[in-house]
Amino acid sequence: MPEEAKVSKKKKIVAAVVLVAIAVALIVGIVLTDPLYTSPESISEVMEDAVLHEDNKVSLFGFPVNPSVISGIAVTIAILLFAVIVRVFALPRFKDIPGKFQLFIETVVGLFDGLAKKNSPHRNGFLGAYIFAAGVYIFVGTMFELVGIPVETTSGISVTLPAPLADINGAIALGFLSYFVILSGGVVGAGLRGVGRTLKDFSLPISMSFRLFGALLSGMLVTELVYYYLALSFVLPVIVGVLFTVLHALIQTYVLVMLTSMFYGEVSEPYVKKDKKHKSAEKHGRLHNKRPVVQEV
Amino acid sequence: MPLNIDWQQILLHLLNFLILAVGLYFILYKPVKAFMKKREESYAERERKTKDALSDAEKSREQYAEKLASAEDDIAEMKKQAFAETEAARAEKLRDAQSEAESIVAEARKKAEKEHDRMISGVSGDIRDIVTELADKVALSSDVNDAYEQFLASAEKEEKDDGKD
Repeated sequence: MPEEAKVSKKKKIVAAVVLVAIAVALIVGIVLTDPLYTSPESISEVMEDAVLHEDNKVSLFGFPVNPSVISGIAVTIAILLFAVIVRVFALPRFKDIPGKFQLFIETVVGLFDGLAKKNSPHRNGFLGAYIFAAGVYIFVGTMFELVGIPVETTSGISVTLPAPLADINGAIALGFLSYFVILSGGVVGAGLRGVGRTLKDFSLPISMSFRLFGALLSGMLVTELVYYYLALSFVLPVIVGVLFTVLHALIQTYVLVMLTSMFYGEVSEPYVKKDKKHKSAEKHGRLHNKRPVVQEV
Repeated sequence: MPLNIDWQQILLHLLNFLILAVGLYFILYKPVKAFMKKREESYAERERKTKDALSDAEKSREQYAEKLASAEDDIAEMKKQAFAETEAARAEKLRDAQSEAESIVAEARKKAEKEHDRMISGVSGDIRDIVTELADKVALSSDVNDAYEQFLASAEKEEKDDGKD
């Protein structure tokens, strides 16, 4: 027993020495190579490009597109590949009493399905499928920026692929699509009345788009800022890069999915004729509690 | 366009998302939901069967309880009937015994009366014979006293004989 403890202690000391040596070598290397690194862009140019994507375009079959389009395609391929693997290898082995992986898949599907049923009890089949896809896309797309895949721009500069929704075009696409999904729910569920209810919230697509864009862009800008300076590249990226990304991936997924399902449920609710007394009481109540709290997130 | 908004890229993002949404729906969402629904239905079916079995068991229990209660009533009824039958048999036997006793008594009484009559008739015949015998002896004797003495002696003798019998 004392012999084993002695060996174990020796191993621990060796491991610690090796780790410290590697860390010291890295720091020395970083400091020595720092003067060699000169960014072709200033920090203001980097941040401006992160917002506007005017300069750095990537070629997609000959078309110059923003890097976020490539990100979106990469995310879609990754998700669909995962889905196919699950469908082919895991789903046929699903059991009545689920294992950990089956439980994870069922929880994700059940979460979005449950949200759709809860917020839109009258009509939720299509809504569930939509918010499942949107939720998975936003979450995985936001987490995708952590991978940091480099691509070469048309001007020959190397850039890392951002989150697909950190581009205003991607955010507008998802925001407007969500609005049209809500509108379609209104038309199918309540006819012209549903259209009226949806058009009443005409600012919704803009607010949804810019909320997504703003939230994801802010995360990306902070990350760009941190990575631009060498001194900030130690320890801090763990908090800024990983923690913040995970947090806003979760928050933005939740916000868009909740907003879409709540508005969908609201506009697709079948019309029930009410007497005047009931109507005035409801109107009075609505004045006090007009909109769901989540909208303000 | 301000903020570098580009309709072509918006459409590219839309197309990309639509492909993802449709693919995800058919490859993952629908099959997983179908599996979950099937399992839910199988659990509901099991629950329904269990409930049916429980209600059947409850019904059987109630039926047994009812049968048990009716069996107790039947037993009580049978007991009552048996008691009534026993009472009737006892009363009949009592009646028979009484009538038999009455007939025995009546017969005994008849026999006694007959014996009595027979005895009375027998005694009167004896008395007549004695008187006849004494009258013959008196008539045959000379002396009245002697005759009287003889009469007494023979009466005593007769009485003694009767007492011996």
